[in-house]
Amino acid sequence: MMNRRNFNKLVVSSFALSMAACSSLTSVGSLPQKKKRVVVVGGGFGGATAAKYLKKFSPDTEVILIEQNTEYYTCPFGNTVIAGINDIDYIKHDYKTLESKYKVQVIHAKVKKVDGASNSVILENGDVIPYHRAIVSPGIDFKYEKGYVEGSEQYSPHAYKAGAQTSLLRKQLEEMKDGGTYVMVAPENPFRCPPGPYERISLVAHYLKNNKPKSKIIILDQKKKFSKQGLFQEGWEELYADMIDWRSVEFGGKVEKVDPKKRILTTDEGDVHADVLNYIPRQKAGKLAFDSGLTKGDWCPVNTKTFESRIVKNVHVIGDASIATKMPKSGFSANSQAKVAALQISRLLKKMPVINPPKLANTCYSLLSPSYGISVAAVYEAHEDKIKKVKGAGGLSPMGADEGFRMQEAEYAVGWYKNQMADIFK
Amino acid sequence: MICLLKIINLNYKIKGEKMKKIALALVCLYGISFASNYDPVKGQMLSLSCASCHGTNGISSGIMPTIAGMGKTTMQRTLMDYKYGRKTGTMMQKHVKGFSDDELEQVSYYFSKVER
Repeated sequence: MMNRRNFNKLVVSSFALSMAACSSLTSVGSLPQKKKRVVVVGGGFGGATAAKYLKKFSPDTEVILIEQNTEYYTCPFGNTVIAGINDIDYIKHDYKTLESKYKVQVIHAKVKKVDGASNSVILENGDVIPYHRAIVSPGIDFKYEKGYVEGSEQYSPHAYKAGAQTSLLRKQLEEMKDGGTYVMVAPENPFRCPPGPYERISLVAHYLKNNKPKSKIIILDQKKKFSKQGLFQEGWEELYADMIDWRSVEFGGKVEKVDPKKRILTTDEGDVHADVLNYIPRQKAGKLAFDSGLTKGDWCPVNTKTFESRIVKNVHVIGDASIATKMPKSGFSANSQAKVAALQISRLLKKMPVINPPKLANTCYSLLSPSYGISVAAVYEAHEDKIKKVKGAGGLSPMGADEGFRMQEAEYAVGWYKNQMADIFK
Repeated sequence: MICLLKIINLNYKIKGEKMKKIALALVCLYGISFASNYDPVKGQMLSLSCASCHGTNGISSGIMPTIAGMGKTTMQRTLMDYKYGRKTGTMMQKHVKGFSDDELEQVSYYFSKVER
C-alpha cells in the first residue's frame, strides 16, 4: 500500500519527468533563442558529413540530425560483403561519435516532409521541428516498372540500398548451385554509383571462380556503355576469362518484362532464366524530396555554389538526390558536397559572403578482386548554374598497368574506405 | 635578390643542361621568395576534399599518409612535383592538376598549421 510519503515522492518524480519531457520537446519544438539551428535530414554520406562539419565550422550552431535508423550500412564495400570477402558488420556504422564528440543532436524518427513555407521539419508522429536552414540528403528511390514492383526485392534483390538487401543477395549467392546463372539487370543513367554494378559483377565472379567455377554471369545492361568500361573489361578477361557475359541494350540486353518470383527476364532476344536475379531498377530522388516539393522531374535542382534548393528557400539538397552534374552520384561526391554546403551555410548564418567558386572532388575506387583495384577521379569547380570539371585534372587508371599497380590501387581502395568512414562518422 | 643576380650572371657562362637546371632553380627561388600570404578561408575550403582520403584534418587511419602538420614547404614541393610530372603516383597527380599553384600553396599552409 502506498503511504503519504511514497505518494509525495511519486508526485515529485512524475512532475520532474514531465518537466524533462516538456523541456526536451520545447528545446526541439521551438527555435533556440540565441543560436542558429540547422536541421539535417538523412544520415548517409551527405547528411552525416554535413552535421559533423557544421559543428566543426560553427560550434555555436545547434545541429539536429534526423535519421530513421540507428545504424547505417554503406553501399561502398557492400559488394565485398555480397562476395563474402567481408562480414556485414564491416559496412555498419552508427551516430554515437557525432553525438558525443561533435554534439550533434541525433533524433531517430521518420520525417513526413520538410515544409519550406513554415521553415520546419514535420515528423511522421506530428512533431514539428523549426529551423533557420535545413539540409536534406534523402538518397534515392526506385522506379518500379516492367513487373518489378515494391516487394519484388524479396525475391530478386536490388541490393542498391545497403543492409538487409546486401545480406539477402549474399545468401542467395551462397545458396546458388555450381553451374548456376547469376543475372544482373543494370539500370539506365543516371543512377547512384556508376561503376557500382560492374564492381559487384567483378567480385561475384571472384567468389564464383573460387567456389562455383561452373557458374556464369550475365549482365543485361539498359545502356550502351558504362563507367570505366575499358578497365573493367580488361580486368574481366584477365581474371575471369569468359565467365562474364555483358549484353548492352543494343545487343540483347534490353529487358522488356521481368518475373521477379520466377526470376525470368523477357528480352528482345528471348527469355533469360536466372538462378540469382539482381535487378537494379531505374532511380529517382528519395521520396522525401518529392514529399517536400524539392524536385523537378526526377531530381532536385540546386544552386551549385551552396546547394540551396532552387525551389524551396533555406533548404539545401546534397548527395544523390541533387542535380550536381558533372559530379557523379557517389558517396565521395555527397561527402564533398556536404562539406561545401556546411561551410557555405556556416557563412550565410553569420551573414558572411559565400566562398566563390567552391571546389569539389570525386574519387572512385573499384575492386575487380581483393588485390586488383582501379580508379577514376575528378576535380570540380561550382560556377553559376553548373559544376564544371577542371580541365586537365582527374582521369582513369591506365590501361595495361602491371599487377603491382592494380594491387596498390586495391590497397588504396581499402585505405579510402577507412578514412572516408572516419571523415563521416568519427 | 643579390643571390638571384649572381645566378643570372652565372647563367651567361654555362650552356645546355646546366642552364636548364639553373633556370629551374630560378623558378623555384622565385616561387619561394614571392610566396603568397596565407588565406585561411581559402586554405580551409581547398582542404575539404583531401579529408575524404587522408582523413578529417589530414589525420589518416588508413594507408594514405597523414598530411596534418606536414611542413608547408615540403608539402607544397610534393604537390608541385606531382603537378609538373616530377613525381608519379597512382592518384595524386590527377588531383593536383585541378588546382592552381597558388591554391596548392594555400592548402599546404592550411595543413602545416593543423596539429597532428
